[in-house]
Amino acid sequence: MIAYILKRFWQMIPTLAGVVLLIFFLFNWVGGDPALVLAGKISNPEQIANIRKQLGVDEPYWYQLWVFLKQIVTFDFGRSWATNEEVSHIFLTRLGPTLTIMLPVLLLETVIGVILAIGVAYVNGTVTDRMIMMICTVAMSISFLVYIIVAQYLFGFKLGWFPVQGWSESYWKNVTTFAPLPIMLAVFVGLAPVLRLYRSFFLDEINHDYVRTARSKGLAEKIVMLKHVLRNALIPILTNIGIALPGIFIGSFLMETFFSIPGIGREILVAVNRSDFPVIKAATVYLAMITMFINLLVDVLYKVVDPRVTLK
Amino acid sequence: MMSDMEQPLLRVSNLGVNFRLEGGAVFEAVKGISFEVPKNATVALVGESGSGKSVSAMAVMRLLPKESAIVAPASEIFFEGSNLLKLSDEGIRAIRGKDISVIFQEPMSSLNPVFTVGDQIAEILCLHMGMSRAQAWRRAEELMYEVGIPDPRLRIKSFPHELSGGQQQRVMIAIAIACNPKLLIADEPTTALDVTIQKQILDLLAGLQERHRMSVLFITHDLAVVGEIAEHVVVMQEGEIKEQGTARQIFEAPRHAYTQALLSCRPNVNERPMRLAVIEDFLGAEGAVPIKLEQRRRGYRDDDEIVLEVRNLSKHFRLKDGIFKSRDIPAVKDASFKLARGKTLGLVGESGSGKTTVGLTLMRLHASSGGEVLFDGVDLLKLSEQDFMKYKRRIQIVFQNPYASLNPRFTVGQILIEPMTIHKLAASNQEAVDLAMALLGRVGLPEEAFYKYPHEFSGGQRQRIAIARCLTMKPDVLICDESVSALDVSVQAQVLNLLQDLQDEYRMSYIFISHDLAVVKYISDQVMVMSDGDVIEVANSDDIYLNPQQEYTRKLLGSIPRGWQNQAPG
Amino acid sequence: MSAVISQTIAASPRQRQSPGLWTLAWRRLKRDKVGMVSLVVVAFFLALMIASYLGIVAGNWSKEVGVSYAHPAFMAGEENFEAAQMGLSSSAADVPYADLSSVDPLAPRYREWEERTAKIMVTEAPRAETLLLGGDKWGRDVLQKAVKGAETSIFVGLTAALLATIFGTVLGGLSGYMGGRVGDVLEWFYNVFTSIPYILLILSFAAVLRQGLDTIIFILACTGWTGIYRLVRAEYIKHASREYVKAAQAIGATHQRRMFVHILPNVSHVSLVQLSQHVVQFIKAEVILSFLGLGVPVDAVSWGTMLAEAQTELVIGKWWQLAAAGVSMAILVTAFSMLTDSLRDALDPKMK
Repeated sequence: MIAYILKRFWQMIPTLAGVVLLIFFLFNWVGGDPALVLAGKISNPEQIANIRKQLGVDEPYWYQLWVFLKQIVTFDFGRSWATNEEVSHIFLTRLGPTLTIMLPVLLLETVIGVILAIGVAYVNGTVTDRMIMMICTVAMSISFLVYIIVAQYLFGFKLGWFPVQGWSESYWKNVTTFAPLPIMLAVFVGLAPVLRLYRSFFLDEINHDYVRTARSKGLAEKIVMLKHVLRNALIPILTNIGIALPGIFIGSFLMETFFSIPGIGREILVAVNRSDFPVIKAATVYLAMITMFINLLVDVLYKVVDPRVTLK
Repeated sequence: MMSDMEQPLLRVSNLGVNFRLEGGAVFEAVKGISFEVPKNATVALVGESGSGKSVSAMAVMRLLPKESAIVAPASEIFFEGSNLLKLSDEGIRAIRGKDISVIFQEPMSSLNPVFTVGDQIAEILCLHMGMSRAQAWRRAEELMYEVGIPDPRLRIKSFPHELSGGQQQRVMIAIAIACNPKLLIADEPTTALDVTIQKQILDLLAGLQERHRMSVLFITHDLAVVGEIAEHVVVMQEGEIKEQGTARQIFEAPRHAYTQALLSCRPNVNERPMRLAVIEDFLGAEGAVPIKLEQRRRGYRDDDEIVLEVRNLSKHFRLKDGIFKSRDIPAVKDASFKLARGKTLGLVGESGSGKTTVGLTLMRLHASSGGEVLFDGVDLLKLSEQDFMKYKRRIQIVFQNPYASLNPRFTVGQILIEPMTIHKLAASNQEAVDLAMALLGRVGLPEEAFYKYPHEFSGGQRQRIAIARCLTMKPDVLICDESVSALDVSVQAQVLNLLQDLQDEYRMSYIFISHDLAVVKYISDQVMVMSDGDVIEVANSDDIYLNPQQEYTRKLLGSIPRGWQNQAPG
Repeated sequence: MSAVISQTIAASPRQRQSPGLWTLAWRRLKRDKVGMVSLVVVAFFLALMIASYLGIVAGNWSKEVGVSYAHPAFMAGEENFEAAQMGLSSSAADVPYADLSSVDPLAPRYREWEERTAKIMVTEAPRAETLLLGGDKWGRDVLQKAVKGAETSIFVGLTAALLATIFGTVLGGLSGYMGGRVGDVLEWFYNVFTSIPYILLILSFAAVLRQGLDTIIFILACTGWTGIYRLVRAEYIKHASREYVKAAQAIGATHQRRMFVHILPNVSHVSLVQLSQHVVQFIKAEVILSFLGLGVPVDAVSWGTMLAEAQTELVIGKWWQLAAAGVSMAILVTAFSMLTDSLRDALDPKMK
């Protein structure tokens, strides 16, 4: 096991190097001259040169790359070009709100999704099945934006059940007042694709031979589904959760923007609009690393879920 | 007065099953059949693919797919007095696994991969016998011992993929007999297993049947197996029962033409007629009885021209094992043999013996790890890719799976013309088309086949197309890699006859790779036995069967189901 | 003597051509009512897009033809406060000027200029009170905006999906078939792109490239090829070990021939379904990007920009732009999604 984990760490290096190069290429090369952007309307060449010096973009490329690598290793990306806040501080403070929303969303989506998917797979082929799939398709075709706008308007503005936007310092207040609407909205919208996907997992499993064996033993259909099929379907479900997990660290930038939640997603969006490169670069590199670690974690978990897997 | 002994255990009456196809069509799989299974007896349900035998057996347990299968309302299946088709869901579930149980063809996929074998056996014990988990596990261990799994205490915690095919099937059997069923339905249980393992499983089933005094409904396509184990035989074809009776009746005095045909199509280890009988011989208008054809003499002679000589061929596979290590798997260790012109070398062995690898390696479809392949004075393995192109067309191969060896997106015409284009064998397009049509006729297919796609043909027809493809290049050597193994017995006979005709006409030399000893003996002049990458024995086919020198060869030959042995009464 | 299956008939050969994969799939699709309806709807939108591009319809979307927040035709009778406001602001000119001569040197001349401008005829078309689907804040026709928005979204979606599919298929084929070094390099490339969460990747690209339609298409194609790559690669790996490919090798077919002539026709249906799926995905992405101001340039319209305006409009009760953009997008995406499903079933029928 240890050997496997070490091997995976070793294999992460070229990928991480690739990510670093990609980001560097994008922001230090393609990104153009940030000094012009930040200088705004000041066209004084001296001041622009000064800004360039401050940002360090007047150095040769290899030096910039070296600085970048140092930053990654020391977890110190300097300061935001816009607010001058330390980038690492930005992330640490914004992580909380994002996770407060995203963790419950992932949990609820998975649990409700699995329960509903089993139910739909059970009645596969009936009118109910087709109707529910149709509803899912239509639900998925409405833009997330429309949902947010309508939900905010309806539940916040018109009915006043929840605040339209906002966030507070207190965790408890957040959980009870500010978080419920975004969470429910995200789960509601996220259920349709999850339901479709998990339903297909269950249907795939139902067609396998071992299900026929289970039935031939005289087991009730419920037990066949809940014990035999579910246990096998956990494998692709785990894969799917593994793919979704890195996403919870960014959060939904749309929701955070609409509901004024000070999370990482909104921060990144703001940074994009302001060409605040240090923030975006840091976010990308860290999220890439988080994704790789999560992949490793999921692969190790496979061993628990699927006995056929041998970690080599 | 009907005594208890005469009441059959299972009585199937007028069973009909239809399947719904896409586009509204309906396929009649079973067309109103009736048969019985007496108590404490083995009944064999024999037929080729499409006969409806598996469907009938699954209908008994009501395990047919609900969405597509329709059981005709006039059907009746009586088990111990009650009509299984009329039972409620709970009713049939109470019987499944307890009074009637099933074992399937593919044990690997029939077992749940994420639960231990112990769990899966214990499950049925807890369900029907009301045992606690601890009790069930103890009983499971006993059952595993009874079905002959070594080290049951250890193996009970294994997962299915950690066991061999034979052991997996034993686990399935353990699950099936756990609750002492009165009827065991075995759906082609040994078809996917090696012949030596097959023998063990058949012996096991016979022993269990006697000990537990249960009836067995054994479904198979292999008449030799039927002859060994069955007391009663039901012969099916295309959804109908053609004949049924005791084993003695069926084997010694078959009445229906189809039964006679089936019995004759299969090459018998003791005979070698000039050509095998095929179904059409029996189903002709007159219902003719086939003439006993003269025997063909086979064997290498000293004055035979050697067209291909292989010396010390070896092939190792490298598998990655950990970060830096890799494992070496010797598939073929050191193979040497000669192929005489116009003759057939049979390459026989069980799975993993390396026989297929030999074939693929001497064609350079695998890169060899050593040795020489001498053809026309040249070592083929040492040639560059370009130089080898000249020789490619002279050694060709027909693969095993007729459903995978033809490109589904090519028409038959495109498949046949392609080699001619690559090797520039035809002066013009029209000449290529003419040649392709002629070859289609030669292998017994109509001209229209040229415009059709592979999926429109049956397995046997596809193999003919594959053979025709090879013929376009007029090869000297043809490697048949399990080419008839996936075909029904009657179709197999047709293709074997075709191969023999082509050999007689074109003087092609064959390397015939197979695990089926009877077929190999029929068609080969010389036989090479392989096991685990080693060549065990090479000799003329008659010699090897009558007088095997090596222990392994004897074991292999001993595993062939003997078929029906005429036993004198008393 | 081999068994002959049937007699040969010397019929005209060409008529005997059997239906291939695509013909069979088309027949299956025709039997699928839902699929055909979706196909018609999609075709309608495509025609709309071309017409809009050529200027046949929605050419005047940017003209301010209606009053501010003109009501949709079915709400003609209702009161429109904002339009009234607009009217009021023009009547503010009727208020007499206060005499500011003491502070404003130009003050005495105002009246004179006033009269002179009043004499100049300005042909201003009377603004419509109601428009078919209503008007936005500046009185632009919502219906025309919605059609133009459809053009933008479909154009972006189709082009980006086409590029991503070609890119993903070619790379996937190379990687799956060749394996070895080439495969390792491509896998590394794939890993790099998939290590960064999709949205973040898009935003990173958006941050460094200037705004514009071609930019979005470029970004979406560059980030969206990974899914197709994965699938096509798996298909190629599966097929490369199939016997028909080995048979092709045995008869002497080159690598290129095996990859493109043999395997590709067996994989192309997967690519087609992926293409269709990505069109849906990219349309949705474009709308969000445009909403955020990262998508279409300022002088163009997209469903996303309409939704951006709709956000504030809703509070004052003007819901028709939201409805127009939301509903037309929903219809197109639903139709495309169902078409994708029907395509998949037609090309690869399985027991559902």
